[in-house]
Amino acid sequence: MKLTEQQLSELAAELDQVKANVMNQLGDKEARYIRRMLLTQRLSAISGRILMVLGFVTPWLWVFGVALLALAKILDNMEIGHNVLHGQYDWMNDPVLHSKRFEWDIACDAASWQRTHNFEHHTYTNIIGKDRDFGYGLLRLSNDFRWRLRNLWQLVTYLLLSTLFQWGVSYHELAGERVFFGKKKAGRVNTVNHSELKKAFFGKGARQLFKDYVFFPLIAGPMWLWVLAGNLLANLIRNLWTSTVIFCGHFTADVHTFTQAQCEGESRGHWYYRQILGSSNFTGPRWFHILTGHLSCQIEHHLFPDMPALHYLTVAPQVQAIAKKYGIAYNCGSFLRQYATVVARIIRYSFPGGKATTAYTLRT
Amino acid sequence: MNKSISSWSQRLYRQFSLMLANQPKLGYYLKPLLRWNNPQLHPDYHSARVIDFGWETEQILSVWLEPASSWSGFIPGQHLLVTLLHRGRYISRSFSISSSSAVFAQQKQIRISCRIQPEGQFTNALATAISGLTHLSISDAMGDFVFRPQSDSTPYQSTVMVAAGSGITPLWSMLSSVRCWTSPIVLFYCVKESRQAAFLTELKLLAAKQPLFRLQLIETAVSGRLDLVTELTTNADFSLSQAQYFLCGPAAMSRQYQHDLIQQGVPAAAIHTELFGLAPPGSAGPVKQALVLQQGRVNKLQATAGVSLLQLAEQQGLAPRFGCRIGVCYQCVCQKKSGQVLNLRTGQISGDGPEQIQLCISAAHSDLQIEL
Repeated sequence: MKLTEQQLSELAAELDQVKANVMNQLGDKEARYIRRMLLTQRLSAISGRILMVLGFVTPWLWVFGVALLALAKILDNMEIGHNVLHGQYDWMNDPVLHSKRFEWDIACDAASWQRTHNFEHHTYTNIIGKDRDFGYGLLRLSNDFRWRLRNLWQLVTYLLLSTLFQWGVSYHELAGERVFFGKKKAGRVNTVNHSELKKAFFGKGARQLFKDYVFFPLIAGPMWLWVLAGNLLANLIRNLWTSTVIFCGHFTADVHTFTQAQCEGESRGHWYYRQILGSSNFTGPRWFHILTGHLSCQIEHHLFPDMPALHYLTVAPQVQAIAKKYGIAYNCGSFLRQYATVVARIIRYSFPGGKATTAYTLRT
Repeated sequence: MNKSISSWSQRLYRQFSLMLANQPKLGYYLKPLLRWNNPQLHPDYHSARVIDFGWETEQILSVWLEPASSWSGFIPGQHLLVTLLHRGRYISRSFSISSSSAVFAQQKQIRISCRIQPEGQFTNALATAISGLTHLSISDAMGDFVFRPQSDSTPYQSTVMVAAGSGITPLWSMLSSVRCWTSPIVLFYCVKESRQAAFLTELKLLAAKQPLFRLQLIETAVSGRLDLVTELTTNADFSLSQAQYFLCGPAAMSRQYQHDLIQQGVPAAAIHTELFGLAPPGSAGPVKQALVLQQGRVNKLQATAGVSLLQLAEQQGLAPRFGCRIGVCYQCVCQKKSGQVLNLRTGQISGDGPEQIQLCISAAHSDLQIEL
């Protein structure tokens, strides 16, 4: 269905109202929530690292320690880091929770992430050629891309990317800027010079490697191998989890793509429309949503990236009703179903052809 | 040599802290843990225990604080930034210290006194919350509006102080801190009516006890505005150019008296001023001035109401960091030091204190100071 500019501007007004209702009431509740999250993250990180060393008492303590450290890393990256870096808690004026000062427990430098994710991905969501998060330059996920031989084994590429996800994220901007390989793309404006990009990439990466694979094993003395293995495992669990959540938010079967021509000089309403069609949600219990950093409500997150994420669940029914009213597909399903369609999509586009996923717009 | 070792160890500590906790200092990692039940304390500032509070007048609230030992003291006349957790957010405002340095030396306590402004977000929040507060966060004392009668290299024959309304606070701190009176001080204390005058009993007591101190209360509702120069020159013995001046009150008043005194040949260096009161509301005119500080350089921008600060900065030759330009990506966030901005997306008007703003959707609502 095609929406007129008039309908799009009405859509924008309704969604703005949904947002304003939440944003006007931000206060103690949200502040308490995120501080409690921060406390949980700190406690699980510290106790996880201690329990791992106590693995000599019984290996179960080590297992428990690994789980706690993985939990700490997931909370740090998702419910705290991702959301704080979006500026969701900037209004609190707290230096520990401010988008400009926050740094997270992941190989990717926070400022680099903000440029590629907050700016590129969230502004140009699913516009082929502009949003490099669509397939990460590695996977062919729609027939907008020409088929190449390497797409044949892209399921393996995907599994490798998931395993090393933090490094993929960290290298993302350098890949886009062609810092090490490739010819610079015409028209791409780089705001940070290459030497600074390299410095941030190597600096942050080295600190993370040193912490998990040199510093903590060293102070663990005879338990160094257990600690090293535990840290490796915790990082792996976090990588698989974040990658899976993110793939379920953008690469499920019914997620649409857009062409650059469709979005040139688009209205705010059209931007909203694109965000709904470019994302997908999945369901689950409350703790599950927290572990995804509420990216299980990817649609709401893309509509309102600076709204404190704990509200996504409460505004989701309103957003769904509005989408229905305007006849916009609202892509939601169980986690397993959504993930199955992600894998199917990766496999389908491993081969040439495939159906078009470009959304209908006024300019189609 | 020592300096290079200390800067080297600072760098090492920073790297260590970044490695271990992804924070420039370990305090940022540990404070959410250690202070989990007392979020009132801002991680960048000193904590201060609230000892007592009381009303000096119907509108002026005094709060006695006991700063933590990390706080390094003050010179009478200085002010500090007080930070309060209000509805989940840290809000800050600066206040002059109104107690004497002797009380701090003996009891480690200071007093701040603030006029509760009917429209002031901070002062109202403070007045409402004060009875339940155990702690506040305070910055180091700052400012050069200070009085050091003994150590002054250019001795003045006398001192003239002019306070308007709550502008009395730093002056009362100065007066009550003088231990050794060597030259006369006259205080012109302008209030609408005498019941609005804070510290009046103490001031009268000092005037009765100390022959070198003269208090002149001016009730503007009764006798009109003070004409400072005329008032001073009626006394034949008094020489305008031999005195130093401390003016504390609304900006317009300070500017007027400063202008009058300079016209009479008083050297500008002998006049000290401190501006008080809420920033003038935004309706003063369509063009505001934004002072933009960028790595130590100061740029003056002419800010047109309703136009985003990002656009203005670019038009006038600055290049702030930006991203989406529609308020989504938070790339252009920067620190506003003072002044009010209008959020172009929501129409909300910000507070006057320091906070972070998004340049692409903020327009000047008053004169501003911004740090890029």
